[in-house]
Amino acid sequence: MNDFGTGTQALVLVLFTTLVTLTLLMCVMAGPDRDDLTNFYTGYLSLTPLKNGLAIAGDYISAATVLSTTGIIALAGYDGYVLAVSTALSLVLLMFLLAEPLRNAGSFTMGDVLARNMPGRAVRIASCLVTLSATLPFLVVQLSGAGSLLTFILGIPHEAGARTTCIVLVGSLMIIYAAIGGMRGTALIQMIKIVLLLGTSVTVAALVLNRFDWSPDDVLRAARRGSGAGPAFLQQGLQLGTSAGDRLDFASLQITVILGAACLPHITMRLYSARDVPAVRRSMSWAVGTVTTFCLLVIIMGTGAAALVGSQYITAADPHGRTSVLMLSRALGSGAGSVGTTILYAAMAGTVFITLLSSVAGMTLAAASSLAHDLFAHTVRRGRAAPRTEMTVAAWTSVAVGVVAITLSTLVQNWDVAVLTTLAICIGASAVAPALTYSLFWRGFTRTGLLASLYGGTACALVLMVFSKAVSGTPAAVFPNSDFDWFPMQSTGLVSIPFGYLAGWLGSRLDHRRRAADSRESLRLYEEGEARLLAAAE
Amino acid sequence: MTHPDDNSYPHPPPAPPGWPQPQTDPYGHSPRRAPYGRDPWQESYGHDVPQDNRYGYDASSYDPFGQAPGHEPYGPETQRHGGDLTALRSAYRTLRRVSTLTALGSFVVYVVLSCFAPDLMGSRIAGELSLGMALGVLQLVVTFAAVLWYGRSARRSVDPLAQAVRERAVRRPGREAGVAR
Repeated sequence: MNDFGTGTQALVLVLFTTLVTLTLLMCVMAGPDRDDLTNFYTGYLSLTPLKNGLAIAGDYISAATVLSTTGIIALAGYDGYVLAVSTALSLVLLMFLLAEPLRNAGSFTMGDVLARNMPGRAVRIASCLVTLSATLPFLVVQLSGAGSLLTFILGIPHEAGARTTCIVLVGSLMIIYAAIGGMRGTALIQMIKIVLLLGTSVTVAALVLNRFDWSPDDVLRAARRGSGAGPAFLQQGLQLGTSAGDRLDFASLQITVILGAACLPHITMRLYSARDVPAVRRSMSWAVGTVTTFCLLVIIMGTGAAALVGSQYITAADPHGRTSVLMLSRALGSGAGSVGTTILYAAMAGTVFITLLSSVAGMTLAAASSLAHDLFAHTVRRGRAAPRTEMTVAAWTSVAVGVVAITLSTLVQNWDVAVLTTLAICIGASAVAPALTYSLFWRGFTRTGLLASLYGGTACALVLMVFSKAVSGTPAAVFPNSDFDWFPMQSTGLVSIPFGYLAGWLGSRLDHRRRAADSRESLRLYEEGEARLLAAAE
Repeated sequence: MTHPDDNSYPHPPPAPPGWPQPQTDPYGHSPRRAPYGRDPWQESYGHDVPQDNRYGYDASSYDPFGQAPGHEPYGPETQRHGGDLTALRSAYRTLRRVSTLTALGSFVVYVVLSCFAPDLMGSRIAGELSLGMALGVLQLVVTFAAVLWYGRSARRSVDPLAQAVRERAVRRPGREAGVAR
């Protein structure tokens, strides 16, 4: 599997150790004071727009995005290109639609935004549960992927024991980053990661184009040949199929990505740490610019992987092609064992490693913040927790979330759990997106509507996902041998997104009829808070 | 994706600050035309909610003078404050609507064409480059321009109004509770 000399392995290991040591050091130094909540959750609002933008981009481009998107482009061509476009545009949509009011409405977590018009413990509990159900699947899929990825990179035999060790190692590091670093510490790691990622990607993409004398035609022709699919490589349909139902499935998946990917709590959390509205706008401009550049590079890298590695070898290493970017960096050097190959491969491996670490740390922090702030401080203690206690609780919830994620990942490491990424994005699009858009823009939104869209959207996405084609009934499913799929799609967005919006609307209608006093109160709070929502007028 | 405020009124009135408030009862002719929760120019909404089954989708409920009903509880200062806020709200809404619908719309058209007109999107336009690929890459490239355009229009249309609302809020320290955190 890994035909490298020990020199490469040694270099990769040294690089990993250096990266871990450096980032841990920075985390400890940048860590927050022990009893300052604002510092822990938002990092004193002290990041410049450029830095905050890079941190948002870093949080947004997770290891799953880097590895899976490249893999899908390498294996399915056109379908992967559409995915890259929808990934980039999702952040654009977040910037245009939600970023500015979200910054004004929230202080630390999604619960703060949602509960501002509808105080009460039920709202806090719901937003905490939805945050967990959107971040945990993402966390598990990346951690369990970390096992096979690290054994692949380091050339360790692909055994369960080795993979479990890798998962526990990455998981422990992620807990340390989240618990010690807080927002500021993880922001620093995200910045390092995105700079490394962009640097390596530009190099690899330039080398790909250089190999083909900077002629896009030649790259595409070689990719068509390497993919073994011929002209179909440059047409929609390789990923999910070409029947009308499959095409609808594909369209639904892309719409879900554009609506849901950027709404996930670990990304919106970064918006609260912008100083003011112009700052959040500039941050988002940097973030969108970075992500779009990266998506363009991913298109080149994925096509390059199809052209230079070939889909046979890619699928042999991983059926989803998640190792394609590593294999590409290996194929680009001037031959196995040469200095160029070694350095390029080590750089790419280090980048993937730090991407993995930083994205799981960001998600752990989002889940832990929600547990500490929404569940502990505002539900258990009813908003009367001392800042110092809340900080301690936040550190311990990071540990708890991390341990749960590590346990789950070890349990599912032998299954193909890529579907969990889809699940997280579906929950983002069908529960988080309706709740946030209604709460920010609709003055008639009420408590029942909010709970209905949060719980209804999540439940609908969850149930449909369990009974979808992605979980059972097809060879690529999680349980290929079972057969309980009655929802004939790979993603649930086509049904669950309208369901989430409809549930929120119907719930609010119900409140207007049955609990006129409550809904009047929500309206009053919305109108009183509107100056703050739109203009940040305190 | 539906944005609840995006389909309320296609053309919000400019609502200049200090507009003389007409005291003709805006609801006299049709008390039920109070689209609960949709009318940004309406301070009170309690009437007839249960019977109101048109619920905000009734374009005929548009009332050019509805921005301040007769029973305005606040003084003239608040009205001017409300005027600034109304202008800010509609500026934000226009900006949001144009930018979001353009981004989302172009992508949806792109995906639908990719899925259901594969021959069109697969047609070569230059060498190996197909129309679909070119459009996809074009969307990514246009994104940079769109972000710049958004920043510039926001600075021009929204920021001065937000500044005015903030200044007015600072000048009246004893304003309604609940706005402050």
